[in-house]
Amino acid sequence: MQPSTRAPKWAKGLNYDRGEAVIGIEHYVVVSSILFVLGVLGIFLNRKNVIVILMAIELILLSVNLNFVAFSAFLNDLVGQVFAMFILTVAAGEAAIGLAILVIFFRDRGTIAVDDVNRMKG
Amino acid sequence: MELKQSLGLIAPEILLSIASLVLLLVSAWAGDKASRAISVVACFVLGACFFIVAPTVCAGVAGPDVVAFNGLFTADAFSGFAKLLIFAATGAALVMAPKFFERTNSMMPEFPVLILLAALGMCLMVSATDLMTLYIGLELNSLASYVLAAFLRNDERSAEAGIKYFVLGALASGILLFGMSLTYGFTGSTDFGTVRAALTGDMSTGAMFAVVFVLAGLAFKISAVPFHMWTPDVYEGSPTPVTAFFATAPKVAAVSLLMRVSLDAFGMQADAWRQIVLFVALASIVVGALGAIGQSNIKRLMAFSSINNVGFILIGLVTGTVQGASAMLVYLAIYIAMTAGSFLAIIMMKDEAGAPVEKISDIAGLSRTKPALALCLAMMMFSLAGIPPLFGFWGKFVVFQAAVEANLVALAAIGIAASVIGAFYYLKIVKVMYFDEPADVVKGQSDWAHWALLIISTAFISPLGYLLTTWLGGIADKAAATLFLVAA
Amino acid sequence: MIHTIAFYIFAAMVIASGALVITARNPVHSVLWLILAFFNAAGLMVLVGAEFIAMLLVIVYVGAVAVLFLFVVMMLEIDFAEMRAGFVKYFPLGVLLALILVSEMILGIGAYSAGSMHLGTADGVGTPLMGESNIRSIGALLYGRYLFLFESAGLVLLVAMVGAIVLTHRERGTVRGHQNINKQVRRRPGDATVNTRPEVGKGIEL
Repeated sequence: MQPSTRAPKWAKGLNYDRGEAVIGIEHYVVVSSILFVLGVLGIFLNRKNVIVILMAIELILLSVNLNFVAFSAFLNDLVGQVFAMFILTVAAGEAAIGLAILVIFFRDRGTIAVDDVNRMKG
Repeated sequence: MELKQSLGLIAPEILLSIASLVLLLVSAWAGDKASRAISVVACFVLGACFFIVAPTVCAGVAGPDVVAFNGLFTADAFSGFAKLLIFAATGAALVMAPKFFERTNSMMPEFPVLILLAALGMCLMVSATDLMTLYIGLELNSLASYVLAAFLRNDERSAEAGIKYFVLGALASGILLFGMSLTYGFTGSTDFGTVRAALTGDMSTGAMFAVVFVLAGLAFKISAVPFHMWTPDVYEGSPTPVTAFFATAPKVAAVSLLMRVSLDAFGMQADAWRQIVLFVALASIVVGALGAIGQSNIKRLMAFSSINNVGFILIGLVTGTVQGASAMLVYLAIYIAMTAGSFLAIIMMKDEAGAPVEKISDIAGLSRTKPALALCLAMMMFSLAGIPPLFGFWGKFVVFQAAVEANLVALAAIGIAASVIGAFYYLKIVKVMYFDEPADVVKGQSDWAHWALLIISTAFISPLGYLLTTWLGGIADKAAATLFLVAA
Repeated sequence: MIHTIAFYIFAAMVIASGALVITARNPVHSVLWLILAFFNAAGLMVLVGAEFIAMLLVIVYVGAVAVLFLFVVMMLEIDFAEMRAGFVKYFPLGVLLALILVSEMILGIGAYSAGSMHLGTADGVGTPLMGESNIRSIGALLYGRYLFLFESAGLVLLVAMVGAIVLTHRERGTVRGHQNINKQVRRRPGDATVNTRPEVGKGIEL
């Protein structure tokens, strides 16, 4: 059996036997790829609005988590889920730090637009 | 592997984490008054870690005996070598900091604690033999670095540097993670050894995507072209001791990490990544050299210099040989001495009120007002330019030698040509200091500790450094060899 | 069948709400869309049998991170209309590039048709325990093999906490900040008042 067609536990009981369409790993990878690109697009579209940029970063991390969990299920290996947990942990810390920096930036400037009063070129 | 044995192998990391926790408590208790004392203690902790790691590097330990926690972590000589450089560079940043922050009354005792935790993250990075360890180490270092960049919280430039560093750093982590998730999917493991074994032979395009994403994420972290956008802004906006820290220790950690990932985990696919690294190396050299021309702020100039130097270091990686890896380590050692020395000199340039002088036009004629400082900075600049009698030349020489022996003569030739262009802007600084009319801005006095460190680093990069070449080359060879042990 | 339908609903919702996160005019709406995206992603994770991570995603992300975002959005008084400048201008180009990127990724990774991706073989480190629940198997792995990383992740959280406090904490010069209750209570009338008898025409000595 090809490794790629090895579906998680539920699939063996349900879909394969009845010959129904199986949701394969490819479906999950497509969803997470789209989410990843949406996150990157969000960063470039909202270049001025740092708070939406932070949310776009969360979208990227969500897509990565989805990838890890899907791979973990299809590989029948829990390491991916443990990795996803660490990513969740770090993402929470990252959000806290990002928002803290945003708050001091706002206190100094009165705005959160990064591009606009660019004291430093570039 | 017994738990006790594993704990023994991570002794420096345990010391660092306990020290940072204790110092955090002390800082909560004693408040801002204790900042200086905590910095001093933190320096001693780094020194202790240095002496714990040093014997393992000299002995060149490697193999399964030094792998801890079921293959999550290795304390081999390669990681040891990188850790020694990290401890030295971190210590230098700690020495620079108190004086700088005290002037504006912004020194907080959390600064040395965050620096120690960042150093701990870097230790995990260089010792990682699993993608998970790599990620956690990287984020421990990055999160601390974001805070450090924005540490002057009432300074707009510092906050802006923090935001820019954060956004691009988080994007880089995202790209890296996406690559790691694909690596996990296509190889079924996060362990470097298993990944390496799974990536033998023909690689699917999916696995190729994984390699590209991981390398792109890491290229962000070492600020190589085309991922260098943030570097000049962050270097200019961050407080100078933090800039000095960014330019040295995390560079060592990220380059060593890149070496281990590409030579170990992706080692069987060297042909696939070699072209990418080759392009990144050349682009970094060229962009670093050209971008520096026309800069008026010396910290911005140092940012381009670091981009340029990363390019030279990556030439060693393109070879993919033991000699190339060893040359990279030698170059890194010399690079941090030069960069830390230059930043020390920059931090010692203060006007009458003690405010930092950063404009290149303000240091005109420094040789007449502050001859000793001007001499040290001039030697640093000559060394960064790779002009022969100084030690900086040796770093470039070993890298090019490795490239020539790996039949990459064309690459070496382009590198040498680009280093000539690069020399231009270093020499411009020397010209401004020695031949222009004195601007008479730099007046302030400096700390003895700054002078001592500056003299040590100047001595290291002076021709005296050549006395060390055999010894330095010897331990770098041993360290690099441990990286290739897995291949055998 | 139900499974397939559920997958497509969750997948469509997560992508749609992801798109709305980055295009919503008002960041408060963005946060709400983000929460919806997390819920649907959690649904997808439940479908593959990762119940524990799905619950964590809801608890950690929706319960903590998204609320933190909401706090910050509402705390800062921001003129959001001004932020949108340039959005429309870059929108078509951005979407075009994104479409190219996503199709390249899907083609490159090989996810364009079912069965076209050849996953590796797991090395058996994280095989779920026989007959145990998802959470028990993860726990065994996390507190066993990955204990070292678990502790290191604790340090990451410590850095985040220290960092956020260092950056945003301000000593406020409020009344309460200066009030020393102990000192107030210890103060006796004799410390604060003196009884004097100034003579007429000599003025008073203070």
